[in-house]
Amino acid sequence: MMLAPLLLLVALQEPAHQPAPSPATEQHAAPAEHGAAAAEAEHGGGHDPATVMMHHVTDQKPFYGVYSKHLVFLLVPAAFVLLFVRLAISSYKHGGVPTGIAAGVESLVLFVRDDIAETNIGHHDAHKFTSLLCSFFFFILFAALLGLLPFSATSTGNLSVTLALATISFFAQQWAGISKFGFVHHFQNLVPPGLPVWLLPIMIPVEILSMFTKPFALMVRLFANMLAGHMVITALLLLIPLLASITTAFGVAVIPVSIGLALFIMILEVLVAFIQAYIFTLLTAIFIGMYAHPAH
Amino acid sequence: MPTDPKALAYFAAGIGAGLTIMGGAAGIGRLAAAAMEGIARQPNAAGDIRGAMIVAAGLIEGVTFFSLIVTILLAIK
Repeated sequence: MMLAPLLLLVALQEPAHQPAPSPATEQHAAPAEHGAAAAEAEHGGGHDPATVMMHHVTDQKPFYGVYSKHLVFLLVPAAFVLLFVRLAISSYKHGGVPTGIAAGVESLVLFVRDDIAETNIGHHDAHKFTSLLCSFFFFILFAALLGLLPFSATSTGNLSVTLALATISFFAQQWAGISKFGFVHHFQNLVPPGLPVWLLPIMIPVEILSMFTKPFALMVRLFANMLAGHMVITALLLLIPLLASITTAFGVAVIPVSIGLALFIMILEVLVAFIQAYIFTLLTAIFIGMYAHPAH
Repeated sequence: MPTDPKALAYFAAGIGAGLTIMGGAAGIGRLAAAAMEGIARQPNAAGDIRGAMIVAAGLIEGVTFFSLIVTILLAIK
């Protein structure tokens, strides 16, 4: 049981297209994992289980002529979001009552507007940000759900993608304050009025730092959540070849356990997709609300 | 006795992951206990309490993942 993460880390050390363990791995690895890695290598040459299974977690470059796999699965969810929303809008043209996809999309949009935007940003400022928050919500949700399909990848499990999302969130937060109060007044608002003067040298750096740590936390939270679930599934499935390298009977015995646990984590991932889309959107809304309604 | 820096990094990553999970589990455990108590006292407020609990759990989880990433970096770099 404890060897599985080690095996996974050995797999992470090797680039995806490298068939044999690299010399550095062989030199430095402890004897136990050295044995595991060697067993992996002789199992199937270029198609050892660790490499094959890691396609679900790590990026592949190049991917069928495209720059990288995560780029494809960044664009596919975006296209799905556009498609679903267009379908939903077209069903409103015939009458007022939404049917089919539109009913589902409408309930989520209403949830984002009423429960996320308006309660945290306030009634007057919320309408400017509802479309942005809906975009965040649907994109993160679709990216995570599509990433659960076979042969796909979760693009939000890539730090660059979440960096881009967090950067958009950062500019939205600052714009909320700047567009409402003007550039100078927005930065004066960072420090609550009536503060003793001797606290200012502490408060100003802290507030400027917190301006950047908020989107940074958003970035790392989404990235780590999306990566962690897939890594756990991979580690659970890698238990089978690991135990099979000791004795085949062990490997066969662990198959139902491994598949069952992996399936459970898969179901959990569906829940995590919704929760992470909700949390990213909600925290963006809370931070926007903080800058739109500073302490006074 | 392993003096290889890579072995020590694996060791540190394992210990770090364990400590991280202990901290995260303690935080989310206390949070869930308090939320359940709140729901038991005020079943009407169950929806609000659940929403606030999910947000707080997300924040705790985020901090936990920070340190998990540090441990993963220790192990694979």
